[in-house]
Amino acid sequence: MQKNIIIQLDQLTKTYHLKTGEQIHAVNNLNLTIPQGEFCTIIGASGSGKTTLLNLIGGLDKPTSGSVIVDGEDISKLNERDTVKFRREKVGFVFQSFNLIQTLTATENIEAALAPSEMADSERINHALTLLESVGLKSRINHLPNELSAGEQQRVAIARALANKPKILLLDEPTGNLDTATGKEIMKICHCASKQNGQTVLAVTHASYVKEFTDRLLYMQDGKIQTNPVDPIN
Amino acid sequence: MRRRKHRTIVNVIGFIIVVATLVTLVSTARAWDTSTSQPLKQIGTDLILIYSAPVVPSGTGCFIANHLFSFPFEQSSMTEIQQVEGIKNAVPILMHRMGAVVFVGFDPEEKETNAILPNNIVEGRYLTSEDTNAAIVDYEYAKLNNLTIGSPINYIKGKFQIVGLANIDAANILKSHIYVNLPAGQNALPENNTGLVNVALISVYDPRDVPKVSQELIDKWAGATPIAATDLAASTSNVLKINEQTAWNISIIVAVVTVLFTIRTQVSTVSERTHEIGILKAIGWSKSNIVNQIFIESAIQTGVGGLIGCIIGVGLTWYLLGSMSGVTIADPLILAAGFLLALISGIVASAYPAWKAAKLSPTEALRAI
Repeated sequence: MQKNIIIQLDQLTKTYHLKTGEQIHAVNNLNLTIPQGEFCTIIGASGSGKTTLLNLIGGLDKPTSGSVIVDGEDISKLNERDTVKFRREKVGFVFQSFNLIQTLTATENIEAALAPSEMADSERINHALTLLESVGLKSRINHLPNELSAGEQQRVAIARALANKPKILLLDEPTGNLDTATGKEIMKICHCASKQNGQTVLAVTHASYVKEFTDRLLYMQDGKIQTNPVDPIN
Repeated sequence: MRRRKHRTIVNVIGFIIVVATLVTLVSTARAWDTSTSQPLKQIGTDLILIYSAPVVPSGTGCFIANHLFSFPFEQSSMTEIQQVEGIKNAVPILMHRMGAVVFVGFDPEEKETNAILPNNIVEGRYLTSEDTNAAIVDYEYAKLNNLTIGSPINYIKGKFQIVGLANIDAANILKSHIYVNLPAGQNALPENNTGLVNVALISVYDPRDVPKVSQELIDKWAGATPIAATDLAASTSNVLKINEQTAWNISIIVAVVTVLFTIRTQVSTVSERTHEIGILKAIGWSKSNIVNQIFIESAIQTGVGGLIGCIIGVGLTWYLLGSMSGVTIADPLILAAGFLLALISGIVASAYPAWKAAKLSPTEALRAI
């Protein structure tokens, strides 16, 4: 493996067995390498396997076959405890539906990501406030998610994803629920954060304006990265 | 938790009900036991034996026991009474009333079971078997009649000198005004009462044998009336008549119902929080973090519920028993037991939902709405 490769997927397959007996290959024998610090975007139609791919890379799901090597470690072979540690320390997730805990304030949502760490309470709160400030939400620290706009909620989600200083940011349709202006703003925040911290970003999206921020654009169809794709954006 | 007010309040109320029920029932039952046994415990006995009599004309006074008129019987029958299986000791007492004054003859050598015991003396001394004209007088009675140590005191034919003042608890069923040696007491009465008494204080080896012993006394001595603690309490107390074992049983049933109810609400809570658990797993929470979180929330709910339940339980007990003397309203052991029961109920009730939550796959949980 090259020195600067942070994500390497070898013959990665994820198959779902339906009750009808049918098999769905959400990710099908997929090979991909992503260098450290790259902002890589995957575009594909709904059901092409993009979210499944992110879940496999982020350790939320286990592959049926193949390997997911992240930062030199095959996460498909990790036990439960090491997988949790990997999710906590190596990756940050941003979801289309924000996935904030509705009963917690903006600050508490970020603190929740820091809770399992050994950080002292005061340090944790200060870190959460710094992150909220960095995404422009200094005045919204005590607001519940339902008191925030969609763009603000996504900014909280980004701040939460950055909380543990992960090496990889996984963005699953981060602008899917936002208008273009807000979506661009969110992508800009992610782009800046990744360039400042040297984080690798893997985003899956439908939004055409991602081209402005991405280093590499990939196309996914039927669980595979297409070598000669038809660009669904243009 | 504070923003899931409805569920939290429902759970806390459940624990309040358990603990308040337990504290109230057990405290009341224990007070009931105390109140029923207190009158006899005061004189170190398990039951008294008398021969009930109809109302006797008061011209020459009458034999009484705990306000019941009674016939005198031979003091020598104590030996036979003591031979009844289960009886440890039988102590003779002569108790007589003339007008408003109650007079007792007793054997001062009996220092465990008696109408008056050495620890009742607050001034002067207790009697010895050699005292033929010495008397102990109730402290309040002496104060009311300006009697002191050395004062003379008469009862019908008897002339005595006060050697001691005693503080006798109102709960003592043989509480009297004047106490003298048994032979002196027998001689003080108008007729010849030598060798006669009208009360036998009976102590048994095992208090559980009281009903059996009572029945045997009735069988052997026709007309004998054994009076046990429960007989006295049935007519003197209006507190909730329930024994401690029943109270515990009811409390445990309430606790089981509450545990089942809480399991149901906790399972619902966890189901409602499936998506949230998925998020927490996605951001790096482990199974143990999730389980701990659910246990901590449950512990806080049970803690708050237990505390409020204890307070309400003490309040209810005070309301029911406030007027009774000699009972403990807030027994730390009962409060601790109530609190512990709530805590255990909480742990049991949250164990299954916690386990269910912990084994959720993050992707499945995230898909839940």
